[in-house]
Amino acid sequence: MLNLVGRRALYSVPVILIASFLTFAFVRATFDPTAKLRQSRESASAIRAERVRLGLNKPLVDQYGSWLGRFLRGDWGTSERTHEAVTAQIGRALGNTTQLVVWGVLVAAVIAVGIGVYSALRQYSLLDYTFTGLTFLGLALPPFWFGLIAIEFLAVGPKQWFHLSDPPLFFIGLHSGGGGILDYARHLVLPVMTLTVQIVAGWSRYQRSSMLDVMSSGYIRTARAKGVPRRRVVLRHGLRNALVPLVTVMALDIGALFGGLIITEKIFSVPGMGKLFIDSLLAGDATTLTAWLVVTAAFIVAFNLLADVAYGWLDPRVRVA
Amino acid sequence: MHRWLRRAAGLGLSGCALAAVLIPGPAASGLARRVASGGEIVVGAEQEPDCADWIASCAGSSWGVFTMQEQTMPRVFDVVARGRQWVYTPSLLMAGPPVLSTDGGTQVVRYPLNPRAVWSDGAPITSTDFRYTWDQIAHGTDIFDRTGYDRIASVDDSDPHTAVVTFRTSFAGWRQLFGGVYGIYPSHLLQGRDRDNAMKDGYSWSGGPFKVQAWDKGVDVVLVPNPAYWGPRPKASKITFKFLTDTAAEFQAFQGGEINAAYPAPEPDAVRSIKAGLTDASSLVNADTGNIEGLWMNNAVFPLDSVAVRQAIAYSIDRNAIVRLLFGPLGVSGPSNSLNPPILAPYSDQHAFAGYHLDLAKVRQLMTGDGWQRVGGLWQKNGRTAQLTIVSTAADKRRELTEQVLQAQLRRAGFALTVQNRDANTLFGQILPAGSYQLGLYAGVATDLDPGLCTVFCSSNIPTAANGHSGSNYTRTSIPALDPLLQQVDTDNNDATRVQASKAADRILAAQQVALPIDPLPNIAIWSKRVSGVRGDNPVYGMFWNLSQWQLQ
Repeated sequence: MLNLVGRRALYSVPVILIASFLTFAFVRATFDPTAKLRQSRESASAIRAERVRLGLNKPLVDQYGSWLGRFLRGDWGTSERTHEAVTAQIGRALGNTTQLVVWGVLVAAVIAVGIGVYSALRQYSLLDYTFTGLTFLGLALPPFWFGLIAIEFLAVGPKQWFHLSDPPLFFIGLHSGGGGILDYARHLVLPVMTLTVQIVAGWSRYQRSSMLDVMSSGYIRTARAKGVPRRRVVLRHGLRNALVPLVTVMALDIGALFGGLIITEKIFSVPGMGKLFIDSLLAGDATTLTAWLVVTAAFIVAFNLLADVAYGWLDPRVRVA
Repeated sequence: MHRWLRRAAGLGLSGCALAAVLIPGPAASGLARRVASGGEIVVGAEQEPDCADWIASCAGSSWGVFTMQEQTMPRVFDVVARGRQWVYTPSLLMAGPPVLSTDGGTQVVRYPLNPRAVWSDGAPITSTDFRYTWDQIAHGTDIFDRTGYDRIASVDDSDPHTAVVTFRTSFAGWRQLFGGVYGIYPSHLLQGRDRDNAMKDGYSWSGGPFKVQAWDKGVDVVLVPNPAYWGPRPKASKITFKFLTDTAAEFQAFQGGEINAAYPAPEPDAVRSIKAGLTDASSLVNADTGNIEGLWMNNAVFPLDSVAVRQAIAYSIDRNAIVRLLFGPLGVSGPSNSLNPPILAPYSDQHAFAGYHLDLAKVRQLMTGDGWQRVGGLWQKNGRTAQLTIVSTAADKRRELTEQVLQAQLRRAGFALTVQNRDANTLFGQILPAGSYQLGLYAGVATDLDPGLCTVFCSSNIPTAANGHSGSNYTRTSIPALDPLLQQVDTDNNDATRVQASKAADRILAAQQVALPIDPLPNIAIWSKRVSGVRGDNPVYGMFWNLSQWQLQ
């Protein structure tokens, strides 16, 4: 197992390095870090000095080398937009996005696995057809539309219809100042719901298909024939094997979520990684953009690695191969 | 009991319990806790300021002014309405009006300070604060705009209650100094420190009615009354500006009671939401603002280096239709006819550009007179086609809509238009200074009551390689008769002759068609009927100019 982890980790290093170089090169080619000084009509000498300070007069490879060295030492630079340390910006944004991702993935995983298992065991039942229809609906719904509809019907609407002093669910940010756990939960429901709708739709289909495959296997039939209780057959023999492909899909999706919640974060005003990316992109904040892209690439590579490790844990045959 | 019935009953009981906890009753204290009656007001803010160092290049944000700057930074003049005009009036910081003297050809302004004016820590606001502010702006690095401060020779702070500012060269816009969107800085707290570092992430001191209690980045800014303020005490106990960057979500937040007021940008989403109607709310639309959206033309590149072509483009555009499309539901219907925004009406010829309306016959006359021929629907001259590109800020729905309309109108008149929008930093920091554009669609924004078109139209301000592309004359306007007029506007302290020069400059700009004003960008304010004290809109300080008088019923 350790060999597997070690090998996979080693393969990840050149991938991240190549991704970081390409990111650095493309951002450098697209945005000028001194553009803000020209906007404020700063003197030509000040702009020249800034270019020297940032090493913009050096060859690209040298610039990348300097940047990589600082990056690995934890110095990710200062945002041209806010003059704040990029590490602080990304750290804060990552904290907010992680909350959404963790809760979203937990809820989505439980629901998706549950739906997938039930649909497989009760194939072609009324509920199976219902779940199938709902998953296709979930896949088709644009998240921005669903988010706004959810706000309208689960927050704003009930407040107006029942003359409440507060909407039952809140939809700005992740907390009100000074609010407790209940306040936090009321803030989380709508963005997590918006996030999980699409995830559950996809994952439940994978789980259903995988479960159907596994439940028709010979060893399952053998277990049933030997009198193993149905619950044990499904959970211990069927589900564990059926989870293998789903885990791979989940790991890939989760890695992408850390940079991909742009719409959800915008609608619910969550200052996460998606919002940071949009703000930095529209402001041409090259320093923040470079770090952001490298961090999200690292997340994707890391979760790929996690998927491989989880795959190996679930299927011992993979560890030996 | 059957197992499924037990489960259903269990689920039902759990659901009821959850609902009882989550759904507040009519008399619940949720909103009372979040927006307490009698004092806590929540306002939606569409943009979070990048930083709170108001003179640095990361400032220049209107929402920075609305959320923090105007409530905490003392200033010499307020901007108030007198009849239909906006005028400067000395603020509570002043013991009397500043006195201008131009004896002996040297401009000197004396600022008598109110002896009761103090910072939030009790230290008096003195002339040394004026000196410190001037020094930082005129001589500091990474300053947003030094205009005016770079003309000051010295600030005499020998008398702590009177700041005496001596100018090196005459500056007619002196009233905008030590105020506006900058304010005055506390020398006793910042002298010897890195001002930018001390302020950029927020500051706890104040010389205004409020002070910043907290700035939770990405979430909100919370203001509380400044107990040391020498003026009328704020009525609200807390003002929270929540950052809501999505306009649709902002209106839902307003309807849902999560916010009590909002000041949305005049984007199509906002116009639609207001047109659809708001319950229990008041609203106002003000077109008398410091903003003007225009089509700015690079006078130095083909084919816009020809006056005839620039005029032909102006006659190709139906500006009335554009304004009606964008702001008709708000009751704004007429285009702008001056490159000075509405609040500078006293200094502008408000009909300078009125002659430019849709007239395809005029387009034909101008283009054929300039040697162009219409081939395949497009104008051609010497083998070159009238293909134009337009740049603007990306992800701005209003501007994208305007560009689409312009494409259709210009195509009908024989011009092809391609859209190449970019982020604001690249647009204003690279493309416009470098002159690598033909048409630009963006707003000119006046943040004070002094005209200042020399900055954008005097030939000495054309960005060149020699000045590191640091000038602001992006249209590359170079008209010999124009420069002296605009320079006179900047330096002439005689208001009557200043006005004449400004109006004459307006007429030259229109005749040469260096840029085309399109629409006034109206300000929109909405607030719950539970909020009292909202008194109209201010072109510099927004609807928040009297925030200290707001309270929740």
